[in-house]
Amino acid sequence: MATDTSAAPGTARGSGTSTRPWTRALAVLAALLAAGAWVWCARELWGTIVPAGLQLPHVDVHHFFSASLLRRTSYFDRFLDVDGLLGMLAQVAVLAVYARCGHRLMRESAAGRIGTGIMLALLGFALVWLAQVPFDLAAQWWERRHHVVHEGYIAGLLGSFLGLGASFVWISLAVALAMALAGKMRRWWWVVAAPLFAALALLSAFLTPYLITKTHPLRDPALVAEARTLEVHEGVAGTSVLVQNRSGTGPEVNAETAGIGPSQRVVLWSTLLDGRFSRAEIGVVMSHEFGHVTGAHVLKQVGWLALFLIPATALVALATRRRGGLGRPEAVPVALFVWVVLGLVTLPFFTLVTRRYETESDWSSLQATHDPAATRQAFERLASTNLSDPDPPTWAYLLYARTPTLAQRIAMTEAWEEHASR
Amino acid sequence: MLRLARIPAGIGSRRVGDRPLRLVLTDDLRRGRGSVFFRWWFAVPFFLWLSLWSIVAFFAALLNWLATLLLGRSPGPLHRFLSRYVRFATHVYAYTNLATEQLPKFDGGQGYELDLEIDPPGRQRRLTILFRLPLALPAIVLIVMLAGGGFSVFTTMWSGGISSSGLLGTAALLGWFASIAWTRMPRGLRDVIVYVVFYGAQLWAYLLLLTDSYPCADPGIAIPRPPARDDPVSMRVEEEPQRSRLTVLFRLPLCFVHLVWLITWTILAWLAAVLKWLVLLFGGKSPSGIHEFIAAYQRYQCHVLAYLYLIANPFPGFVGKPDSYPVELQIAAPEKQNRLTVLFRLVLVIPAALIASAYNGLLLTVAVLGWFASLVTGRMPVGLARAGALALRYCMQTSAYWLILTDSYPYSGPCRQESADTPVATEPGFG
Repeated sequence: MATDTSAAPGTARGSGTSTRPWTRALAVLAALLAAGAWVWCARELWGTIVPAGLQLPHVDVHHFFSASLLRRTSYFDRFLDVDGLLGMLAQVAVLAVYARCGHRLMRESAAGRIGTGIMLALLGFALVWLAQVPFDLAAQWWERRHHVVHEGYIAGLLGSFLGLGASFVWISLAVALAMALAGKMRRWWWVVAAPLFAALALLSAFLTPYLITKTHPLRDPALVAEARTLEVHEGVAGTSVLVQNRSGTGPEVNAETAGIGPSQRVVLWSTLLDGRFSRAEIGVVMSHEFGHVTGAHVLKQVGWLALFLIPATALVALATRRRGGLGRPEAVPVALFVWVVLGLVTLPFFTLVTRRYETESDWSSLQATHDPAATRQAFERLASTNLSDPDPPTWAYLLYARTPTLAQRIAMTEAWEEHASR
Repeated sequence: MLRLARIPAGIGSRRVGDRPLRLVLTDDLRRGRGSVFFRWWFAVPFFLWLSLWSIVAFFAALLNWLATLLLGRSPGPLHRFLSRYVRFATHVYAYTNLATEQLPKFDGGQGYELDLEIDPPGRQRRLTILFRLPLALPAIVLIVMLAGGGFSVFTTMWSGGISSSGLLGTAALLGWFASIAWTRMPRGLRDVIVYVVFYGAQLWAYLLLLTDSYPCADPGIAIPRPPARDDPVSMRVEEEPQRSRLTVLFRLPLCFVHLVWLITWTILAWLAAVLKWLVLLFGGKSPSGIHEFIAAYQRYQCHVLAYLYLIANPFPGFVGKPDSYPVELQIAAPEKQNRLTVLFRLVLVIPAALIASAYNGLLLTVAVLGWFASLVTGRMPVGLARAGALALRYCMQTSAYWLILTDSYPYSGPCRQESADTPVATEPGFG
């Protein structure tokens, strides 16, 4: 704040000492209120319908899976886990070097302040992609070797290269917003940027279903009827169920729930319907996905992202101060580094949140189907079709597991049986 | 206009006159209606003779390859025979595609309206002789795109937005109509045909070991003294062959955001053009606000395409700011336009759109070849960049005509700004 130095020193100092404590007190109060609101939101988002204090019984995986399958899944998953970890380390290393030297690439731009910032951000992510290529190829080789996927290397590489272009559009939008705000609001850009980014994430979540290709409505009349019954049971009648054609990509089985509000839909992979899973097991998978719709999990995940964005953008603002703030393009490589490191650091927390919602969906599915036997069978079959390790090591579980382990899911089934019999 | 600026020292190597293969053009653009109307029939005996000659030339070329590999230079008699063959083929293609009026001689002798001067055999590097065919592959790709897979075959098939007729066939077809109508071949179309025919001649001379000078795609090599023009939509190019390998590698994904923005802007620009069309038709005076909006869009489009096709190196801005990019579109202030040409703009633009679609094919080829070359050498071959700049300038002029920025018809050949220096054509080695 500018001070009139010609005024009497006593007066100036006096007014300063009288207003500053108030300002500080207001700032502290606002910060406390914001923190309180943050905690309240987090608490609301954390809650699920799974009974509090539900104890999962110990499950001996050898009772459900053969020793050879356990060996095979463990062998398969460990390679992918280590490959993924090395990929992350490569990502951090590349971005660390880029944060240090990336600003030199400013000479490759004639796009002005924001345009140059966008270019630096895009090049940073392009380098990350490039660093990931060997690890992606290794993972693809491994999955092909184990007949989990059939996609060719060139097709995989080309797909990821073109996917990079699509993600660049979102990155450009985010960087343009942040830099425009940083140019106007200097150090406080993040206060406005965080909700704007959350809005972008919401928009992205809304649009995602429209980008899922090769889909068609569920055609089997019996399955359609079952889907309608389950929808009614779980209170989400009218939810659209689509089938994505995955023939030719491999035997892997999956399903997903995408979208928000009118764009929300459940997408089943065609591999789920190719005869390997019984009708009851398909019903379990569908009701699990309806559980995501009931729990508004896509929206809640955007909510978590919004909560994460507030401290994360503040940290980015802090970290880029030495390069003159995010308003300057040379600060963009630093911002990228901080952003990606924050993402990796918080990864275990986000996987925890996702696992929590998956658990809730499993519970919701059991409540709707009342068929623990089919649920157990579906989980057992998933281990062999997807080569999922039913009981992975803790580090891999904390870092990567976006669903509870198959052992935990079977334990949950047993806990539900016990809970239902009371 | 495309200004072919001087190349910084160390980039260009030889001037036009130093090249072992030179073009001599004495055609005066006048055409007889009868000769043009029956041109493709008149060409039949020449093609028959050329086919017979080609069989002999094939064996002579094999012999020449072995001899040159052993001796390090092409033997005189073989060199003379193959030079005559290349010259005759050039005469025939020039005649068939209306670049000339005179009937060619059957012996491939000198003195034709579009002729070649070929230096006597010189020493060549044995390694390039050994691998001549694979080395020529990029040039073959380019000639296939320029000539559309056959030197004078015009088909209306389209593939991925690329006219399969190529630049040569399209220019020849349009030139045929124009020559019938005005008994004169439009200079722009003639120069385009000369450019393609001469590039083909360079390629054959290279393949048949008449020279080890790589075919150069620079239009300035074929047309060293392009006409000076003062079009309302022109292009200024600041040549900078250095390329960042990193941005070249990721050029396409880096352009995605620009392309999304360009599509959005295109929709608005088309709406603005419709508005301008109505205003010009009824009011007769071009509103400056709409003109400026479309002009900014045109500049932005030019920047993005120059970046995408590797004609320029820096990442472009998003607003089409004037004088902000090395490849800059210069658009004159709004001018009064002929109402009749405004009314029939959709029809009038068709010939230009055909040429532009062929030029689009050239742009794509330039981008693909330039991508590999820039990635390996860190430099964009100057010849390729200039060919791309010529194509881009024509596409931009067509787009400006279509969007009613001007009623000046696009000029299809190489040209220079009236104020600019005489271009210095160079041989950049590759491209």
